[in-house]
Amino acid sequence: MRFIKFIRRGMSGRRKSDSGQQDNGSKNQKKENLTANQEPRNQDLSSDLQTNLRQIRAILSECSDVIYREFDFAQDERIKLALVYLDGMVDKTRVSDQIMHSLMLDAPLVEQGEEFTRTRVFAIIKKRLLPIQQIEETNNLDQVIDAVLAGDAVLLADGCACAVINDAKGWESRSIEESQTELVVRGPREAFVETLRVNTSLIRRKIKNPNLKIEAMKLGQITKTDIAIVYIKGIVSEQVVTEVKERLNRINIDSILETGYIEELVEDNPLSPFCTVLHTERPDKVAAQLLEGRVAILVDGTPYVLTVPLLFVEAIQSPEDYYERPMFSSAMRLLRWFSMIISLLAPSLYIAIITFHHEMLPTALLLSLAAQRETVPFPAFVETFMMEFVFEILREAGIRLPRQVGQAVSIVGALVIGQAAVQAGLVAAGTVILVALTGIASFTFCYYASTSIRLLRFPIMVLAGTLGLYGVICGVLAILVHLATLRSFGVPYLSPLAPLNTGGLKDVAVRMPWWTMLRRPRLVGMVNPQRVARGLKPAPPPARGKR
Amino acid sequence: MKKLLSCLLLLIFMAGILSGCWSRKELSELAIVLGAGIDRTPDGQVMLTLQLAKPSTITGGWGGGARGIEPSAWVVSGTGKTVLDAQKRLATRISRSIYWAHSAILVFGEEAARYGIRRYIDFFLRSPYSRETMWIMVTNGEAKDILEAYSEMENTSAQDIANLARSRTGYSVNLKDFTIMLANQGTNPIASRIDLIDYSINSGGLTRAKSVMQKGAILTGTAVFHDETLAGFLDESETQGLLWLRGETLKGIISVSSLTEPGKEMSINIIRGATEVQPQYDGESVWFDVKIVIEGDLWEQQSGEEIMERQVRKAIEEEMAGEVEDKVRLALEKVQGEYKVDILNFGESFHRKYPKVWPKLKDSWDEVFAGSGVNITVEAHLRRSGLETKRTSEKE
Repeated sequence: MRFIKFIRRGMSGRRKSDSGQQDNGSKNQKKENLTANQEPRNQDLSSDLQTNLRQIRAILSECSDVIYREFDFAQDERIKLALVYLDGMVDKTRVSDQIMHSLMLDAPLVEQGEEFTRTRVFAIIKKRLLPIQQIEETNNLDQVIDAVLAGDAVLLADGCACAVINDAKGWESRSIEESQTELVVRGPREAFVETLRVNTSLIRRKIKNPNLKIEAMKLGQITKTDIAIVYIKGIVSEQVVTEVKERLNRINIDSILETGYIEELVEDNPLSPFCTVLHTERPDKVAAQLLEGRVAILVDGTPYVLTVPLLFVEAIQSPEDYYERPMFSSAMRLLRWFSMIISLLAPSLYIAIITFHHEMLPTALLLSLAAQRETVPFPAFVETFMMEFVFEILREAGIRLPRQVGQAVSIVGALVIGQAAVQAGLVAAGTVILVALTGIASFTFCYYASTSIRLLRFPIMVLAGTLGLYGVICGVLAILVHLATLRSFGVPYLSPLAPLNTGGLKDVAVRMPWWTMLRRPRLVGMVNPQRVARGLKPAPPPARGKR
Repeated sequence: MKKLLSCLLLLIFMAGILSGCWSRKELSELAIVLGAGIDRTPDGQVMLTLQLAKPSTITGGWGGGARGIEPSAWVVSGTGKTVLDAQKRLATRISRSIYWAHSAILVFGEEAARYGIRRYIDFFLRSPYSRETMWIMVTNGEAKDILEAYSEMENTSAQDIANLARSRTGYSVNLKDFTIMLANQGTNPIASRIDLIDYSINSGGLTRAKSVMQKGAILTGTAVFHDETLAGFLDESETQGLLWLRGETLKGIISVSSLTEPGKEMSINIIRGATEVQPQYDGESVWFDVKIVIEGDLWEQQSGEEIMERQVRKAIEEEMAGEVEDKVRLALEKVQGEYKVDILNFGESFHRKYPKVWPKLKDSWDEVFAGSGVNITVEAHLRRSGLETKRTSEKE
């Protein structure tokens, strides 16, 4: 909760960029066409405390959570002080113990011969009387407003045309918990939370290196959401960092409530069904991404962190792959590739073969399927499409429904769809098995990829139902061509497969042992590629007798 | 982008409508042919018999099945001038479209086979829908009866017969190989022979009413062709001799009688072997040196010889060789003496060795073959004796 005062810098930098006319909807009446060295709303504080407070009150009118605490300075009651802060956004013990206590009660702590004057009061207060980590002095009214809204306590003094911003942020937030969406058996369990500073600390704790840079900026005209751009200097390609910053600076939106807002505004191909920006809530995954030369974008208020660039092959990579033994990890990866193919193609292959290419089935299987389908009144395409649709309904309901009714839905789903439909002869048992398999297979790889695959499954089913295997192949080719055209922040999406990079293949279908993956994946630029020293393959010590 | 997207949508939409799904066939629109039979009617027409699967009677999914109460196949026959003509007439009686791809057997009735087989298989080779992996069979009765037979193990007799053919206990040949044999000079085609067996006594009253006569199909040997017409049949032991002569399946069981104890037998499982045919030609006469080498394991011994002794083994090996030679001679006599057709691939090996003499002899090859001498030498080896060295339960 210790907020460095990076926000101001980021803000002024941001304002430089938008010399536009887009501020109609924003709450603050910002003046446009500003030069770099000036503060935007050029309203200075006055030396009169009451004037200042009146102005602040005017701006923060009807904000019932603002607290204005006026009091006298302990040393000299002629000096009037006022503290402005937002209730609920500040740490109350900090405000009372470290600010008010020292100013109201402990103040006589002054050097001999020193004289309190109205003009010098802030210099002394800042130097001796505020036992708080971070303070900042400002003479700008808007900065004061921003600080109050961000959760700082602002100290104003009568007769002084400036204010001291005390870092006293402290609000209720969720503690660090186990990841809910990306589970592993072996590996760290912690997940990001909604507070940006906690999230950066989670990354910093994993990478204790001065080269881990955390740049700050603010986005969202109304929400003023804090954003952090994280990368490791010396590993990341400068081009990518510049590109990320440029794309972020381009954003002009009223609000950023989740990383999804940013993702949509910075991705390379917004109309693609495929995701080109990774989101994760695992700090270890983000750390690994940074160490491979990627850039992370953190947003205050969400546990999801974006990393770019994203490669297609990452869809089947789980953080656990790198913690488990390579042989098992490789087997699981092959399994996930296979599952991805199943979840994309199994229903369409079923439709195509059953309606066009019966000769491809062994006789016994054909007879068994024919027997099952004898009572089914629908064509295979309609039946399978319908069942896939029902499965999607069940899945969506499973996410949205209140926990209390979860049991009921799963029973109804399993019994009605699974059993009754087959018994009633409306659906073939084989179709139910297939749909279940398809659904389960789509959970084996990353969720962001499974959404694309789920979406693409349906058009391919239509192609299979109309053109048979020919249609399926056409669909798959179209998807492959599309994937090959995609780029994520300048990196080909199918890399290292499509611009083939044999070194990168060590981490695609299999996961080679760490002592063989000597180089970082080849992204744009490829700065400092060496990752593991050579010759680290472990071996038993030489036999004692031979020495 | 919008334009492109709408174009794409339109294309996908059109694919659904314009393609018309011309080759789309739901499983419930198919009459799956499991086996086919061809007979010649007395008035010279083709009678095509199809065994069609009845999926509703084949168990799949819920609740037992109708098996045992209702046959799981429908056997239907139709006649016509050609096979296709017959099929066309059948199509007027079958509500679903006839689907050939899963037909496993093609059975010829004796009449059809004697009349000449080329005209009948043409359709199956030409049609893209049937497979060349269909097993070719000849029955000495009507093909229709074979298809109407009942199977205890499988759902239908066609699957039953196909499995019999696949297990290669006798000789079996598929349409492709049969056609190659038919097209080759210096050899004549053979096919497996299939017959009906009456097993209504065995089946008991558990699954079917006792009164119903049940017939099953059984592989009984080989049908020998002279070019395209059926010349005759070989029985099972002659077929084994034939297979050894052709060097095809040098496997099987041979039984030899005990050396010391009369009336007791030993059975040897042949595990591998090789046949070498050397054609000889001295200007006028043709003869063949056939050398058969077999290796076998002793799997059953009724008598009590000490098979671990070299002498005993030697004697058994000689008996094995004698047994093989007898069977081979038996087959040879029938083929050379009775049918006078070369179904042993001797012509081909002669052609290979004497390519210059071949053109003179090829037109009258079957006569040359019938008159040629065959020297048979058999070399037998007894390799192992199973898990026992002595007869089980023999007192020390």
